[in-house]
This record gives sequence, structure tokens and C-alpha cells, in this order.
Amino acid sequence: MELYVETDEAMQLLGQRIAPFLSAGDVVYLQGEMGAGKTTLVRGIARGMGYAGRVTSPTFTIMNIYPNEPDIYHFDFYRLDHHDLPDLGLDDYLSGEGVVLIEWPEIGMEFLPEEAMVIEISLIDDDYERGRKVQLMPRGLYFVQKIEEIEKQCSF
Amino acid sequence: MKTVPDIKILGIESSCDETAAAIVKNGRHILSNVVNSQIAIHQEFGGVVPEIASRKHIENITLVVDAAFKEAGLKYEDIDAIAVTNAPGLVGALLVGLSFAKGFAYALGKPLIAVNHLHGHIYANFLEHDDIEFPAVCLIVSGGHTSILYMSEAGHYEVMGSTIDDAAGEAFDKVARFLGIGYPGGPAIQKAAAEGIAGKFVLPRVFLNRKNFDFSFSGLKTAAMNQWKKNNHENNSVNDLAAEFQTALVEILSVKTIRAAQECNARSVLLAGGVAANSELRKMMKFKSELAGLKVYYPSLKLCTDNAAMIAGTAYSQYSKGDFAPLNLNAYASLLSL
Repeated sequence: MELYVETDEAMQLLGQRIAPFLSAGDVVYLQGEMGAGKTTLVRGIARGMGYAGRVTSPTFTIMNIYPNEPDIYHFDFYRLDHHDLPDLGLDDYLSGEGVVLIEWPEIGMEFLPEEAMVIEISLIDDDYERGRKVQLMPRGLYFVQKIEEIEKQCSF
Repeated sequence: MKTVPDIKILGIESSCDETAAAIVKNGRHILSNVVNSQIAIHQEFGGVVPEIASRKHIENITLVVDAAFKEAGLKYEDIDAIAVTNAPGLVGALLVGLSFAKGFAYALGKPLIAVNHLHGHIYANFLEHDDIEFPAVCLIVSGGHTSILYMSEAGHYEVMGSTIDDAAGEAFDKVARFLGIGYPGGPAIQKAAAEGIAGKFVLPRVFLNRKNFDFSFSGLKTAAMNQWKKNNHENNSVNDLAAEFQTALVEILSVKTIRAAQECNARSVLLAGGVAANSELRKMMKFKSELAGLKVYYPSLKLCTDNAAMIAGTAYSQYSKGDFAPLNLNAYASLLSL
């Protein structure tokens, strides 16, 4: 599934549309270069899941927890090296109690679950001032079905 | 006359990249301050490898604690309490310092004191200045945080505003990395900016004119990156862009902090956190504070970045009040309250 997102607000709205399809235990990988809009999309997903608090970049903190029903675990591996990942205690958060949203997952894919929804955000013509291309890609049958459902409901 | 005994507190900090230990006497006198700076490791890898893993803290902790005792010329039994950061931070990292502190406290039969990392950063000002008057407004600005706090008295904090997206220190690091000028980003931008001219590029002063005290640095970051992508990278442009970026950031931070201080009739303005080490920010805050008739304070450079002296110092008033933590104290990733 591929969409064109014009503005920050539209990116947030897309997150809000994706949110109802995510449940406890789901893992979402957010890929795209610095400034692409990964945190903005996460903010939309959190809003859509009913979390009204602040959603900030976890680049320095590595992880933000948004208390919600279910909880939202917002990770950012940007500053990490893949050697760091086994020591992070990730398993505590991947055990199914919350929705896990990971920015820069490519840094440690080998330590992360196979089954996930991959969202890739790309600049258009390498220009930050233009819109973004957003692709939703499934890993595993469960997410194939989820993305089909999202596609049916999302008419952007 | 009865003499009051000196209280020596061991502080331990492992909330993020640094493993640190320090001993502070009476909340004022730093007897030792050891930080296992891993900046050399970061630079080798181009600035994205913090070796943040708990494993690294485990390897470092006994070394830094022993170094802190050695530097202070003290024996284990000479200290009166053990203070440790238990929030906010990465839980795995916090737990290393916390477990060590608990074991140490239990073995020595000394009290354990829980300290909030951000309170520590703010306290760094009180370690070095004894004339800070309240109410005060504090700008705490680092890689992970950017907030303006109101302090009616010592130890009381109220959040007036904070970033809605990226912290200022994060914006410094990411823009520096994008421009390819090195790590850590704060000093790298500062150095490049000194050779450039602000105003040749024009970046937005995001949220500057909003009445509230929130910040947004994500848009400023992408605006800087976009201008760099569109630029032909000639002559001195990297330094000019660094200068404009730093000027924009410093302007937003200083204008909003002074406005906050004036709004709540503060008498002092405090700077805290890693970005408080930026010389332009210090200069601008001093200039604007004095213009507004406010006294401004900032910690010395060594106490701006993560350290354990600020943790040991913060704990002194808790020690005096008998505010001790149980040995089943937990670590928390987020700030539950300020």
C-alpha cells in the first residue's frame, strides 16, 4: 500500500487512521531518513489510540513509554549500534502488552521480530518542503491482512 | 560550640551514556567527580554509537566508584549515604547504577537516596552558587529534554513549557551529523558557527511568537537540512548555516526563558543540562537577563553534562530531612513528576 502525504497534519491524520488496526503485541517499524516524518506519524498513531499527552522524539532517551490502553512503546535506535540491542531489555516490551513502534529498526533487525508492519517514508525529489511517499509493507500473513483492511478504509 | 559533622555523600549516575561517581561534602564541596566519558568511542564511529548498553555500565561502574574514593582520599566507611539516579532514563542503564548503589548501601549499612536526574542537572547551579534567589526560572536543555521550569523555592518545580517534538541538543546533533561536521553536535556546531555569518541563510524562529513556553525544534532541523540540500556547498556555506542554526536556537531558547521569568516575576534565571555548555547560549542568556534586571546562573562546563556530583549534591537536602529510599527502590524510564 502506497500513499502520498502532503503535510505534517496529513501525516498525523494517516497515523490516526492506522491506529485502530493496531493491537497489543503489534510491532511497527518506521523507516525513512532523518526529518522524513517518522515521529510525526508515531504522534498520529498515539493520538488515534487515544493518547493525548506529548509525543516527542526518543532519539536521546532511546525509548518513550506512553501510558495508554494498551501502552505504547516508542523506540528510536538511531544512536545505537547493533551490539547494544541485546542489552536493552527489549524482550520486556515485545511480550505483547503494548504496541511497539520502532524508529530506525534497521540498526538491529536481527534482534527484532520477523512479523511486523513496515512503514517507509520517503522524500519526494529529495526535497523536505514537498510531501512524502508513505509505503505500508507487511511482514507475515497477519500484517498482510491488517494492511488490506487499512487500505479499504483509507481513501486519501 | 557544638560542631556540625560533615556529611559526605557518594553519588552514582548511569541513566544514559555516562557511568559516573562522585563524592560531595555537605551538598557544596566536590571531593571527587569521575565521569567515564565515552566520547572517544563515539567519535571513532562518526557519532552514532553511544555504547549505551547496560553491559558497558556494568564494566565501568566499579572502576568509576573506586576512582571517586581514590580522588577524594576516602575509604568506603567514610561516607554517610549513597545517592543514585533512578529516573528518568533507560531502565536497563539505570538499573546498573541502582543495583550497585543498593548493594553498597546494604553492605555498608548506610542510607540510600533516590535522585531524579533532572533535579540533579538543576542542582548543579546550587553546587557552585550560594546566592540564588527565588522565585527562579530554569531552562533545562539537553539531548533528551528542553523545558522551562518555575521554582518557587529550592526543590519545587513546575513545568511552564517544554518541547513538543525534538530536544534542542538532539537538533544540534542531527544537524551537525547532516552537515558532516562531527560529534558531539553542540561543540561541532559552535565551532563551525564561530567561522560563519548568521543571516546568510535564513531559518525560521519556530514558536518564538507564541504566547506559551513550548518549543518545537523538529521543523528548524528539517529547514536547516533542506537549505543544505539546496545549497551548492561553496566557500564558507557550512559555517554560515551552522551560525544561522545556532543563532536561531539560541534566540528561541533565550527569548522564551526571559519572557517566562518576567511573566512570573522571577528574580533569577538558571541554565542547566548539556546544551547549557553552549557559549553563545550562555552569552545571550546573560545579556538578556541583565537587560531585564535578572541575575543569571549556569554551571561550569564540567557540571553541565551528565555527572554524579550533581546527584550527590541534590541528595544532601534529602539526607537532612531523612528522606531515604527503601532497598526495593525501582528505576523509571519516564518522568513521573517533577
